[in-house]
Amino acid sequence: MNEIAFLPIAAEILLLGGAVLILMAAVTLNLGPRTWAIIAGTTLGLSFLVAWVQWWRIDDVGSQIHYTGDFLRTPMVVMDYFSVFGGGLVIAAGGIALLGGWRLVGSLEKRGAEYVALVLLAVAGLHIMVISANLILMFIGLETASIALYVVAGFTRDRPDSDEAAIKYFLLGSFASALFLYGIALTYAATGSTSIYGPTGIVAFFAERAITEPGVLLIGIALMIVGLGFKVSAAPFHQWAPDVYQGAPGAAVPLMASGVKIAGFAAMARVLTVAFDASISDWAQVISALAALSVVVGTLFAIAQSDFKRMLAYSGVAHAGFMLTALVAGQSGVPGLWFYLGTYAFQLIGTFIIASIISGAAGGASPLDSYRGLAKRSPVLAGALAVLMLAMGGIPLTAGFVGKVGVFAAAIDAGYLWLAIVGLVSAVAGLFFYLRLIVLAYFNDPDPALADEPITAPRSSRLALAVCVSFTFLFGVLPWPLLNLTSEALPL
Amino acid sequence: MVDFPVIALLVLLPAIGAVVVGLLPKSRNELVLPITTAISMLPLAVALYILWEFSAADGAAFQFSESVVWYEPWGIGWNVGIDGISLLLIVLTAVLFPLSILASASVTKDVKLYMVSMLLLETGLLGVFVALDLLLFFVFFEMTLVPMYLLIGIWGSGNRVYAAVKFFLYTAFGSALLLTGIVALAVMYGNDHGSLSFAFQDLLTLQISSTAQTWLFLGFGIAFAIKVPLFPFHTWLPDAHTEAPTAGSVILAGVLLKLGTYGFVRFNLTLFPEATVDFAPWLAGLAVVGIIYGAAVAIVQPDVKRLVAYSSVSHLGFIVLGTFALTSQGLQGGVIQMVNHGLTTGALFLLIGMIYERRHTRQIADYGGLANVMPLYAGVFLFMAFASIGLPGLNGFIGEFKILLGSYLAFPVMAILAASGVVLAAIYLLWAYERMFTGPVTNDANMGLKDLNAREITILVPIALLIVLLGIYPKPALERIEPAVENIIERIEDATGHETPEFGDMDDLPAATGGHSP
Repeated sequence: MNEIAFLPIAAEILLLGGAVLILMAAVTLNLGPRTWAIIAGTTLGLSFLVAWVQWWRIDDVGSQIHYTGDFLRTPMVVMDYFSVFGGGLVIAAGGIALLGGWRLVGSLEKRGAEYVALVLLAVAGLHIMVISANLILMFIGLETASIALYVVAGFTRDRPDSDEAAIKYFLLGSFASALFLYGIALTYAATGSTSIYGPTGIVAFFAERAITEPGVLLIGIALMIVGLGFKVSAAPFHQWAPDVYQGAPGAAVPLMASGVKIAGFAAMARVLTVAFDASISDWAQVISALAALSVVVGTLFAIAQSDFKRMLAYSGVAHAGFMLTALVAGQSGVPGLWFYLGTYAFQLIGTFIIASIISGAAGGASPLDSYRGLAKRSPVLAGALAVLMLAMGGIPLTAGFVGKVGVFAAAIDAGYLWLAIVGLVSAVAGLFFYLRLIVLAYFNDPDPALADEPITAPRSSRLALAVCVSFTFLFGVLPWPLLNLTSEALPL
Repeated sequence: MVDFPVIALLVLLPAIGAVVVGLLPKSRNELVLPITTAISMLPLAVALYILWEFSAADGAAFQFSESVVWYEPWGIGWNVGIDGISLLLIVLTAVLFPLSILASASVTKDVKLYMVSMLLLETGLLGVFVALDLLLFFVFFEMTLVPMYLLIGIWGSGNRVYAAVKFFLYTAFGSALLLTGIVALAVMYGNDHGSLSFAFQDLLTLQISSTAQTWLFLGFGIAFAIKVPLFPFHTWLPDAHTEAPTAGSVILAGVLLKLGTYGFVRFNLTLFPEATVDFAPWLAGLAVVGIIYGAAVAIVQPDVKRLVAYSSVSHLGFIVLGTFALTSQGLQGGVIQMVNHGLTTGALFLLIGMIYERRHTRQIADYGGLANVMPLYAGVFLFMAFASIGLPGLNGFIGEFKILLGSYLAFPVMAILAASGVVLAAIYLLWAYERMFTGPVTNDANMGLKDLNAREITILVPIALLIVLLGIYPKPALERIEPAVENIIERIEDATGHETPEFGDMDDLPAATGGHSP
């Protein structure tokens, strides 16, 4: 047991190494964006490869829990299908998001290196959240990612709304992190452990005894739900999202929006469906209430928006509600959650890439009027937007539909028919604002001042967008491979 | 029967065609129409082959069945088949598409996208009629939504965006309930058998409690009622029909509305027999309201396209009435009337489109005395109007007669009220004809109008032939419909103890409308 297992944390090592390399390359060797791109690409590519290797390894030897050294024997990292799938997803989303927003790196000049390094750090932090078997480590991952993203949100310092976004994100985010940490502390008080697995872990604790006075534990669970609910922007903890999505540099939003949702939900699934599986009857009701509230609030507010990014932020609240809907089913909802999360992340990245093409990589506001007549100005971009909007609306033959079926089937199976009905009716109301983009792009003529102005998209953005759109369409028509994968990606 | 997956071919041909059309070079827009027309002939050929090979002797069994498991854990598969109910609707779809594509010669804006939408729409519609897997059905059901939305929204007239969004949201709302119902059914199957299944044949074996049947019937029923549209869910229809381009209106009225009535017949009646018997008087009542309301509103429309749109509300009411009479005659009439309405209303919309291309107005008041300048056009219009009214010898008569006969057995009062719809139909159509075609030419702008050209005649002749054929010799069609319909009635009788009234035991019936009350 003295040997250190490198495989489970290989991705973190690679990502941190990459971040440091980029900074050194920029500062000491004075190398330009091309070098950063090579380093970041290699790092992310290798980390993604690691996920495959890990998957094969689990195929051979089964899931494994890795402990700290011999002295304390605390479980820290778990390598199961769940963590590998989630980790791979985080890395893929981070890679595509970085690729789609690469134009921002060029426009930042020297500071671009910092941006790329921060993105890699954020991805590493998110990855830790997914693989951690210990609540404290999960918190460390959360903070690593969050702090990196606070900085990214304010990266375009010359725009006041970017500063506002960063400050808002930072203050509310730290508050949420603190609540999460407090929840961990109370859980420790109730169960005597911060580890999920292992002989002294929370799972083992619940297996051995029942808590007769669960007050402290319930408050702990509630605080952790609030903390993570903030990160995934579930109502009523969503108020930061519209301002941050709108204010942060356009090209950086895809990662902030999708990556954090993936890791946040992975952490939530691990905490709730594994650690607190025993008290599912307590938390499932809270989660179902949050889900219904998120779906309804997100949809209603999204209808009222006149800015594309704000609309996406509120629609993201509704989507968080759909994913919470899967979670009420406990572990049997995890495959549905994964499919939804995996496909929605790429829809979101693709959509924000389009927004950052229309409103500029460093730009903020993205008024809906600027999408008027998009089909005439750029048919390809309009087609991509249409596919992504239909997918978010859950229309069949897009991945969004399959995701919704999986989520609602899980909820109905768990006896939450009312939640499925609330969700589906809201989903229809949601179609209103997704369709509005298609109406603007296809049914309206462009603003005469803009009609002849070509829309330029760098190759990197186009490539990333193509990946997102084909992913959305492909897994809508042939979802079976991904469904098989997600049905295996269960936590230990 | 045949090992070759002929249904898969039928459904996929238009989709493949859509890809082909999509790949045509931008500079050769003039090729799009002829190529799309040619492509749309392929599914027609397959449909005719199916019609030819379909064996009336096989009774209610599904023919040409294909069953491939797609995803075991969800119990979803490519389960498709054709019986007497879907057979004619498939042929109708395959016939109407080439005609309405040919009628789209005046579309100049984004022709490629237009034709791609049309072909994808065809795939969706054909898919709905063959699907015997509920999730597959839903996918096709929804797949029709987006192309139709684009057709109305991009190539429509006047208030097109409003009409398109209204159409989409109305239907999508119904779909949400439908999807909930479908998933709930699959989960119920899973609770009984340990694994989910969306296959229609599996779900037919489910024992569903009366309460669950009621809710599921409502979930499915509202979705289909919106699609039909049944009064009071009809308000999207006049807008969508009026603003849609000609081909859009033809397909909308001809085929898309039938998804609702087909859904009722295929799923509501078979899966939820108890609830069907309970709800039948209510739905029949709504249908009668729709028949009279639609016809009454049609009379006062100043816009001829809107007039025909409202006439659809009335005609579809007949179909629903026949369906929920739950008698063999009524159901047969309902099924054959789906086809008839598709032909006659489709033809009327085509005719309106042709005159609109010439004059760019649909106001009845702008015309008058057209028979003087366009005698052929006027003749065809009158012919189609007669078919729509249900003149004996033309197709509409058979369907409406059977429906009234069948529903009189179950709901005598309603049948009598519904019969007034036939009279009203004569009023609105013939009065419109009188104002538009007879007398002297009242508007100088109409003086120089050209009569039907060769292309337009080519479009209308096949429909006219089918109308006459179904009108004077409907036996082959009814022979194929009857076993499937009888099967449904038997299923309802077995499951509920409900007795279908037959001819001869009229004395046993209460005089009022409560034919189904125990």
